[in-house]
Amino acid sequence: MAVQPYSSTNLPERAGYFPASGAHLYTVLHQVEKPVARMLLAGSFASERHYSFDPWVRWARYLAERGVEVLRFDYRGVGESEGVFEEVSFQQWSDDLVLLATWLQAQSPDLPLVLNGLEIGALLAGKAFDSGIGDVLLLWSPPANANLALRPTLLRWVVADQLFKFGDDRRPATAYIRQMEEGSAIEVEGYRWTAKLWRESFEVVLPSALEDETHAREAYEKPVRLVKLGKEAIPLVKGGPAVADIPRDFSTLFAKNWSWLSAALALDAGGIRDSKN
Amino acid sequence: MIQKIESRELFTLDCQGGTLSGTYHVPAQGLVGSNRTGILLLSGFPMPRTAHGDAAVHWATSFAQLGYPSFRVDLPGVGDSRGNVPAELLEYTSAGGYERVAAELVGQIVARYELAGVVILGQCAGAISAIFAAAISEECRGLILLDPPFNLPPAVRPKTVKRALFHWTTKSRIGGLLSDVYDQFKKLSLQLRKNAPPENANFPLLKRWKHIASAGLPILLLNAPEPKASDNKPRAGKFDYRRHILDLAGSRSRVEARVVSGANHTFSNPAGKATIREHVAQWMPKFFPFERSVKAAQTFTQEAQLNDQTEFSNHQSILAPVDAAMGVKS
Repeated sequence: MAVQPYSSTNLPERAGYFPASGAHLYTVLHQVEKPVARMLLAGSFASERHYSFDPWVRWARYLAERGVEVLRFDYRGVGESEGVFEEVSFQQWSDDLVLLATWLQAQSPDLPLVLNGLEIGALLAGKAFDSGIGDVLLLWSPPANANLALRPTLLRWVVADQLFKFGDDRRPATAYIRQMEEGSAIEVEGYRWTAKLWRESFEVVLPSALEDETHAREAYEKPVRLVKLGKEAIPLVKGGPAVADIPRDFSTLFAKNWSWLSAALALDAGGIRDSKN
Repeated sequence: MIQKIESRELFTLDCQGGTLSGTYHVPAQGLVGSNRTGILLLSGFPMPRTAHGDAAVHWATSFAQLGYPSFRVDLPGVGDSRGNVPAELLEYTSAGGYERVAAELVGQIVARYELAGVVILGQCAGAISAIFAAAISEECRGLILLDPPFNLPPAVRPKTVKRALFHWTTKSRIGGLLSDVYDQFKKLSLQLRKNAPPENANFPLLKRWKHIASAGLPILLLNAPEPKASDNKPRAGKFDYRRHILDLAGSRSRVEARVVSGANHTFSNPAGKATIREHVAQWMPKFFPFERSVKAAQTFTQEAQLNDQTEFSNHQSILAPVDAAMGVKS
């Protein structure tokens, strides 16, 4: 059997609870002795967290091995973080991200801060960047609005939930959507989606400057990269079986993104900052 | 950042060459230290220690409220934990790859938190590791198994055509009828084989099961209803593993087996989350009582009922009939 390509360097990873207003957020800091940059990873949302967890952690370790200190976290009400999912708003998730980004930046203000978001995490990271937080932005599969990320999750859940149901027992996704539009909550993969969550998801939009990469670079005068992840990135993004038993190789995906990131940070391939910077 | 908050504490353990990450759910105030049996939760494949829909967080929190110190740990190669494990994790897990690490984990938790023993709760693949570990661990005092699979995963993934055909049979009424006919053929084939376990049965796992269950280890076995199953019997043509393992357990066993109505395989839906919590609240004090456990369980059940009414009142699934007892051997 092949062995998983895990980090050989075993850099320290410090898990902890970060105090935020009304809840503690679960965070893991991938520590680097002399970091060349710091990076906040804003992952995918709710049930997607579990599917994307393995490559997400591997990405954090990959970056740490190259000298980037990484902070990843669980959204309020999700995973290890405190909070009741159905009581949290997008605004709170957004505020939490800003809180963590600000803390990370304050660790060494001279170092560049990179924001990297995945799907809804990309939306929230994009909004934070638009408000002036961070020096470099890397967005993976940002939807135009949060609702466009929720819909595929709902569709997948409906398909899985309705296996072997026939006739009146089967309900299309539109029936669940109608239920939320009429003010009721539904359960999707263990999370309670409220009417408020659904309604607000239309209002959480990608800042207009981030709709196009070239335009974004000009608007912010900072390095910005928008990457649409394809099938090669499953299960970082939706697609294929929910539970994949085939080992995935993310080395190409990581290398491509690192290549751009190291150029944006003016680093050499080993993660050392160029002397001119 | 802090490692400890009021009800939870993060920890790491060095185990079998890897560093494992975990969360300790501290028993409710007034119950700390009064109980010396803990609960270790192992998630299904390939979920981090929160489990699908954060169900494990929900359960561990409620078990701690009941007075049982509860622990959720990522096994090597999963979640936040590190370790060199084979890339084919499902195959590795099914073969008992985590047997030693889970057993050592139990030992370390018992030593670190000064417990007398630990009950392992495992869902799906986590249940496989739980059974293997229980067979070699002296400190494992019981098992709570959620939908343990006793068959091996297919060596080759089904071809696209077969998958498409399967999905068609699940959507179309005609496809469903054809699927029923196919099930009857399989049933006949099963009868011709005299209901012997199929070739893809996980025989090493069944052997461990027989060893621990027949020795009288308290086991709570909870299954979600299977697709196309009825009257607590599996789908036509499918081997009845539940009946088989209860037979293997023998007359001296202390296995309680139940089917949880309305739950899905991950037990992450409202019915699954709530019912597991309630079953464990009833089962644990029966086999692992401690001073004040009866009072704690009563308070817990009252609170749970109140919470259920407020949390899940508009979920039809919670109103579904209560579980059907599959069989209780004691």
